Amino acid sequence: MASVPGATQLIKEDNVTHSFCGLASVGWLYQKIRDSFFLILGTHTCAHFLQNALGMMIFAKPRFGIALIEEGDLSRQDPNLEDVIAEIKQDHHPSVIFLLSSCTPEVMKVDFKGLAHSLSTPEVPVLFVPASGLVYNFTQAEDSVLQAMVPFCPEAPAGEKSVVFVGSVNDSIADDLRSEAEELGMKVGGFLPENRFDHLPAIGPDTVLAPIQPYLSRVVSRLNRERGARVLRSLFPFGPTGTRVFWEDLAAMFDITVDLKEREQAAWDRISEQVGQLKGKRVFFTADTMMELPLARFLKNVGAEVVECSSAYINKKFHARELEALEGVRVVEQPNFHRQLQDIKRDKPDMIVTSLMTANPFVGNGFIVKWSMEFTLMPIHSWSGVFTLANLFVSPLQRRSKLPEFDESVWLKGVMPSAGQ
Amino acid sequence: MRLAFWLYEGTALHGISRVTNSMKNVHTVYHAPQGDDYITATYTMLERTPEFPALSISVVRGQDLARGVSRLPGTLEQVEEHYHPEIIVVAPSCSTALLQEDLGQLSRHSGVDPEKIIVHDVNPFRVQEHESAEGLFTKLVERYSLEQSMTDKPSVNLLGFTSLGFHLRSDLTSLRRILKTLGVEVNVVAPWGAGLEDLRNLPAAWLNVVPYHEMGRGAAHYLREKFGMPSVQGTPLGVQPTLDWIGNLLEKLNAIAEEKGLAALEMPPLTDFSLDGLSAPSGVPWFARTADMESFSGKRAFVFGDASHTVGMVKFLKDELGMQIIGAGTYLGQHAEWVRDQLDGYLPEPLMVTDKFQEVSKKIEDEMPELVCGTQMERHSCRKLDVPCMVISTPTHIENHLIGYYPVLGFEGADVLADRVYTSCKLGLEKHLVDFFGDAGLEYEEEEPAAASNGQPASSAQGSEAGDGGAGDPDGMPWSTDAEKMLRKVPFFVRKKVRKNTENFARENGETNITAEVFKKAKEALGG
Repeated sequence: MASVPGATQLIKEDNVTHSFCGLASVGWLYQKIRDSFFLILGTHTCAHFLQNALGMMIFAKPRFGIALIEEGDLSRQDPNLEDVIAEIKQDHHPSVIFLLSSCTPEVMKVDFKGLAHSLSTPEVPVLFVPASGLVYNFTQAEDSVLQAMVPFCPEAPAGEKSVVFVGSVNDSIADDLRSEAEELGMKVGGFLPENRFDHLPAIGPDTVLAPIQPYLSRVVSRLNRERGARVLRSLFPFGPTGTRVFWEDLAAMFDITVDLKEREQAAWDRISEQVGQLKGKRVFFTADTMMELPLARFLKNVGAEVVECSSAYINKKFHARELEALEGVRVVEQPNFHRQLQDIKRDKPDMIVTSLMTANPFVGNGFIVKWSMEFTLMPIHSWSGVFTLANLFVSPLQRRSKLPEFDESVWLKGVMPSAGQ
Repeated sequence: MRLAFWLYEGTALHGISRVTNSMKNVHTVYHAPQGDDYITATYTMLERTPEFPALSISVVRGQDLARGVSRLPGTLEQVEEHYHPEIIVVAPSCSTALLQEDLGQLSRHSGVDPEKIIVHDVNPFRVQEHESAEGLFTKLVERYSLEQSMTDKPSVNLLGFTSLGFHLRSDLTSLRRILKTLGVEVNVVAPWGAGLEDLRNLPAAWLNVVPYHEMGRGAAHYLREKFGMPSVQGTPLGVQPTLDWIGNLLEKLNAIAEEKGLAALEMPPLTDFSLDGLSAPSGVPWFARTADMESFSGKRAFVFGDASHTVGMVKFLKDELGMQIIGAGTYLGQHAEWVRDQLDGYLPEPLMVTDKFQEVSKKIEDEMPELVCGTQMERHSCRKLDVPCMVISTPTHIENHLIGYYPVLGFEGADVLADRVYTSCKLGLEKHLVDFFGDAGLEYEEEEPAAASNGQPASSAQGSEAGDGGAGDPDGMPWSTDAEKMLRKVPFFVRKKVRKNTENFARENGETNITAEVFKKAKEALGG
C-alpha cells in the first residue's frame, strides 16, 4: 500500500482483470491517422482478437492487418516482412506504417527497432510501436504510437509559444478545443496526433503540452525531456469542474489569468437534471480503459459516491491532480477482478462501469452497468462534451427505470445452460 | 509470412473455451498475457451470458518473465477459492507455449487438488479452434464417462452442440422436437449445458447422435469402442436428409430394442412432425414445385463454410430447390477429404480449400453468382459486390445470434433455409418485370445504403462499407459515355454483374475499353 501526498489511498493488487491488450488502440488510431497503416507482427490470437473484439469497427478494407507468425516462422528471429510491406504499400499507399509488437515476437526477442529501421524508406517510414499484452493494456498503445511519431514532429524554435494538445480526438472536439484556446488568447500549435502523419505539430522548448487523454503519460514526459516542452499538470477536461480547471491552468501557463467559474456554473446548470439523478448514486469502476480517474472525479463532483475507482495503470505524477481530487475515494491500481466481484456482490453499487467482457454478466446479476469503452469513443471533452458525458452515466439508470420488473428465475432460464448448478 | 485481415477459424484457446463455457462447473485458466481473455467478450456479447463465463487468466507480464515468476499456481488457488469448480482446464497461449513451461508441474505447485486439474496442452501454432475443441471434449468424455445400465426407454445423447455453434439453440430445439415425436428420450446433450455428472451418464443412452462432422465424433468413437454404443452421424439439413436421418435413427434404435426384446419404434405419420399436427412437416417440397419457384432452377449458387454446413447446403440447394451449384469450398482443410467425398458428383469443379478470405472473395467476384451461402466474411465480400448472400456457417456476426427460432436442421430448418434463399434472391415475376422494363422506378434503391438485401437491416458499420465494385474499380476498364448510357438501362441490381461480364468479354476479345459497339457485342454473346 502506497500513499500519495494529498492523502488519497492507493491500493495496488495483482492485475487479474478482464481487459484488452494494447492492440485495441488500433481500433481508433487507424481511423484517426488517415494516411497510416497499422501492421501487427502477431499470431492467430492477435488477428482473432481484432476481428472479434473490434469487429464493429472493421470495414471492408481496414488500414490495419496482421503479419501472421505461423509455426514455420518461429525458428526465425528476424522475420522477413518485405513482401508484406510491399503488399501494403501497393494496396494502401500509406505515408507511414506503424509496426506493432505483440506477445509472441516479444517472447521470441525479435529486434523490432532493427526490423522497423531496415524496412523504412525516406518516403514511407516504418515505426516501431510497443503494444504487447506482456506490458501494455488497452489504451496504452496510443501512448506508444504517439512516441513513435515524436521524431517526425518538427522542432519549434524557442520563443514560439503555443499549446499542443496530446491525444487523439475527432475533428469536432479538436475544433472546439482549438477555438476555446484561441478565445482565451493562446496560440494553438496543433494536435498530436493530427489527422495526417504528414501534418504533425511543431514542438519545442516553448511548447506547452496539454494532455487531453489520461493514458498518455510517457509521450509527454519524453517530449519534456527531449524537446524541453512544458507539460500542463491539471485535471483532464471532462465535466464542468475538470474543464474549468483545465482551461484556467492552461491559460496560466501562458500568463493569462482567467476566471471561468461562471462558465462552469452555466455548465452545471445545463446538466442539473442529470446531476439530480446521479447525486448519491453509488458507482464502481472495475478498471478497463484507463479513463477511470477523471470519470470517477466527475462523478464525485456531481455528488455521487464512488465506491471504488480501479485503473490498470496510475502514474502518481501524471495523475497527481486527479488523485488529489479523488481524496477519500478507494483507488486501486491493477485490481483483482475476483475480489472486486466479491465486493460488488456485498456492497451492491447502483452502477458499475466495466468492460465489454463483464458488462452483461453484471446485468444478469441484477446490476446496472455502463460499458467503459463507450467513454473512449464519445465526444465528452471540454464544455461541449459535458452534456454527453453526463448522459452517458444517466442513460443506463433511466433505461432501467423504464423497464418493467424482471423475475430472473423466469426470464434468464436457459440463456446460459452452463451457469446452473 | 503472410498478411492477414480476417481469419475463419478461431484459436486453440477459443476452441477450449467454447467447450468449457458450454459446461457446468468447469473453469478454464489461460496462462497468457493481458488481453488473451478477449474471448470472454465473444460469450458475454454474442451469447449475452447473464453470468461470468468460467474463464480466468493467469496473467503473464514481461516483468514476471524477466524474474522467472509464474502466477499460475496463485491463479489456480484464487479460482478454487472463489468459484469451487469441479475441474479446472489449464491451457497455454501462443506466447507462453513458446516458453515451453511445464504447466502440469506448475499446476502441482498450487494447493489445488491435482485430480481437479486438466492441462490441455495444445500447440496453438498447429492446432486451431475446431480441432482443439473436439480434442478437449473427447478427452473429457474419455475421462468421465462410466459404465451405466441402459435407460429402459429408447434414448440418445446429442453430442457436439457447443457454445457459439451456428444457430445452436434453434437446432437443438428442432432436433428435440423430432425426437419427442418419435418417442425417443434425450439422455444427455453435451457439451452444451452438461456437467461432469452428465458425462458420467453418457453410456446410459442407447446411442449417440452426432449431427456435426467437426465436433463430437471423437467422443462418439470412444463411446462405441469402450461401451459398444452405436452412433448416428450425418447432418439432417434439408427434408430428405432429415427423413434419412430419422430412418437411420429408428433402424439403429430398433436393432437395440430387438436385442432387448422390446417393441420396435414405429415411424409416426409425417403430419405428427408439424407444429400444428395437421400439416406436412415442411413447406419446402411444395414450395420448390410452385410456378413461382420455377425461375429458380437455373440460378447459380456458390457455397463456402465449415464442413457440415457446406455439404448440407450444396445438397439442399441442388436436390431440393433445383439450383445450379457453380462451386463450393471450405476453410477446414482437415475435413476437405470428407467434404469432397460427400459432394462427389455435385460440383462442376474441384472443391475450393482455403483459409484466405481474399481468395473466396475473388472467386465470387469472378463468378458473380446469383446466390452465395457463406460465412460472415462472404457476407462482407458480397455486400461490396452487391451479390445476394446468406450466412450458413460460422464464423458469424451478432446478426446470427438472434433470439427468435431460426433452426437450419430438421424439417423446420429446411423451411427457414428456403425462406432465407427466397428473400436473398430476386425472384419470379418481379424479376421478369424488371428485366423487361428496366428500372421501372426502382432506380432510387441504388442510392440507398446497402440495406436489407437479405431481409436483415444493415447496421451502420456495414452501411458505410458498401463500396462500388464498378466504376471506381481499379481493375475496371474505361467505358465510353454511350456504353455507360446503355449500361444504365440494365436493371440496377444486375448492373455490376453486367459491367464485370462485359469487361471480361472485352478482355477475352482483346479490347482495351468498352464502347457502345463492344457492349452490344458482349450483350449478344452473353445472351442479354
